[in-house]
Amino acid sequence: MDFITMFNSVSKVFADNILTKPEFFIGILVFIGYMLLGKPIYESFAGFIKAAVGMMIWSVGSGGLVATFRPLLAGLNDRFALNAAVIDPYFGLNAASEAIKAVGMSLSWTMISLMVGFGWNILLVLLRRYTKVRTLFLTGHIMIQQATTCTWLLFFAIPELRSMEGAVWIGLLVGTYWAVFSNLTVEPTQALTENGGFAVGHQQMFWVWLTSKLAPKLGNPNKSVESLKLPKWLEIFNDNVITSGVLMIVFFGAIMLLLGEPYLRNLDKAGFPESLAFPTYILSKSLSFAVYLFILISGVRMFVAELTESFRGISDKILPGALPAVDCAATYGFSSPNTVLFGFLLGTLGQFTAIAGLLIFHSPIMIITGFVPVFFDNATTAVFANRFGGIRATVILTFMTGIIQVLGGGFAAWYFQLYKYGGWHGNIDWDTLWPVIGVIMHNLAVPGVILCIIAMLVIPQLQYRNGNREEYFNQGME
Amino acid sequence: MLKVVAACGNGMGSSQIIKMKISKVFKKLNIDADIHHLSMGEAKSAAASYDVVFCSLSLVDNFKVRNDKPIIIGLKNLLSEQEIEEKVKEKLIKQ
Repeated sequence: MDFITMFNSVSKVFADNILTKPEFFIGILVFIGYMLLGKPIYESFAGFIKAAVGMMIWSVGSGGLVATFRPLLAGLNDRFALNAAVIDPYFGLNAASEAIKAVGMSLSWTMISLMVGFGWNILLVLLRRYTKVRTLFLTGHIMIQQATTCTWLLFFAIPELRSMEGAVWIGLLVGTYWAVFSNLTVEPTQALTENGGFAVGHQQMFWVWLTSKLAPKLGNPNKSVESLKLPKWLEIFNDNVITSGVLMIVFFGAIMLLLGEPYLRNLDKAGFPESLAFPTYILSKSLSFAVYLFILISGVRMFVAELTESFRGISDKILPGALPAVDCAATYGFSSPNTVLFGFLLGTLGQFTAIAGLLIFHSPIMIITGFVPVFFDNATTAVFANRFGGIRATVILTFMTGIIQVLGGGFAAWYFQLYKYGGWHGNIDWDTLWPVIGVIMHNLAVPGVILCIIAMLVIPQLQYRNGNREEYFNQGME
Repeated sequence: MLKVVAACGNGMGSSQIIKMKISKVFKKLNIDADIHHLSMGEAKSAAASYDVVFCSLSLVDNFKVRNDKPIIIGLKNLLSEQEIEEKVKEKLIKQ
């Protein structure tokens, strides 16, 4: 056997057994990462197991969600010609991965894009003298979600690129977003945290910047939300189990009432026997959405913990002193608990208003509120709006954020056809910036991808040019 | 061995950051600890089985303390090892 045939058969074995099994692919990535960091082999092996098991738990949760969701989605479509999508990054992750699998691709392509994106972000910071990028995006679970949604956007927009080449383009695109937009949050985050030494690397980076620009025009930072007294019971919504459970009961309860008892009895003969009352059925079905959601989340948590550990190790080695871009919740300690809950409350009002609007105007897409965008986007918007524009700016901006989340998310779920799988990423940057990128790619194909990457890379140049040049690279550094 | 949990809203991002930072600080101070990270909702239910809970200042009020257990440490800057070290020294080492 000559070398070429041997290489081909090895890569076929790799493609058939590893690329189609993302749990082993991610496990191997973690293993290699740990070995490169000089960890002992038993620890690297432990990392492999935890990453693989985490990913397999994710697919159990995902499978449960799909199985519970599918009959209800079909029912809505069948009876009312209505499509429903939950705007939440975990439902979005689920929908995008189902869509990727449905076109015959594996999630390993997403992981390749993720590695390319991470590497590209490191490179952009290494070349900071030219790129003006100062921040490294290190929020592992967000990188997984965004790389997955972005993978679907490109696979959907440009079907010819469902290949290795496509995976590289996706990595460059999403990596540019991570680098450029986390860099855009440096100044507002430094102002909020009094030089806390980090930037936001999350799902609302564009929005944080926009909020910091709009808020001063809308209100006065001295009239703060922090002095406001909120009712004690609102605190229970800090608890993700409770908030998700309540949201699921409200929305899926409404959907099941709409479909009606006879319809559901006929649809789900095994799960809805004669002896079971309708309200009991509704309650247990609704809460089972929350159950599968938590299974999915705990799986993601398990493998992301390993991935983040090795990412952080690698970046500490290659890039000491880069400004870390981290989870938006890291900013919450710099405001009062009030602000966070107030943002959530106003954002919920905004979302519910927009959903009522969709129903009144007979939109073909119905949006279901998910926990993550309604809580974290609005809380983050509130924290920044309050810092730069006080209570008035906070009320206006969080309410608007809620409305835009529903309208932008509804458009995206429809345009990118993820309503078929009942979910959309749903965080505010993914309801504003990314649908635009997706539409550009869909219309202009590869030149559109290049255009988007270049347009994003111009942003830090403008930031540098218009800001304080001497201080630019010292922001957040001791 | 100290049983420690880091908690945040969804048990994903911030709690992972806190976990990495506290394990660094504990290593420096020679404290032997088993550190987990969870969402606030899950950590609240499991709080009794931990010795120490770390979370953002904005979440401190959600935890109930019975007979001084667990010790709740609220952080303003989750990324500041200095703040973590000061609070650990103040709340954990003095006993």
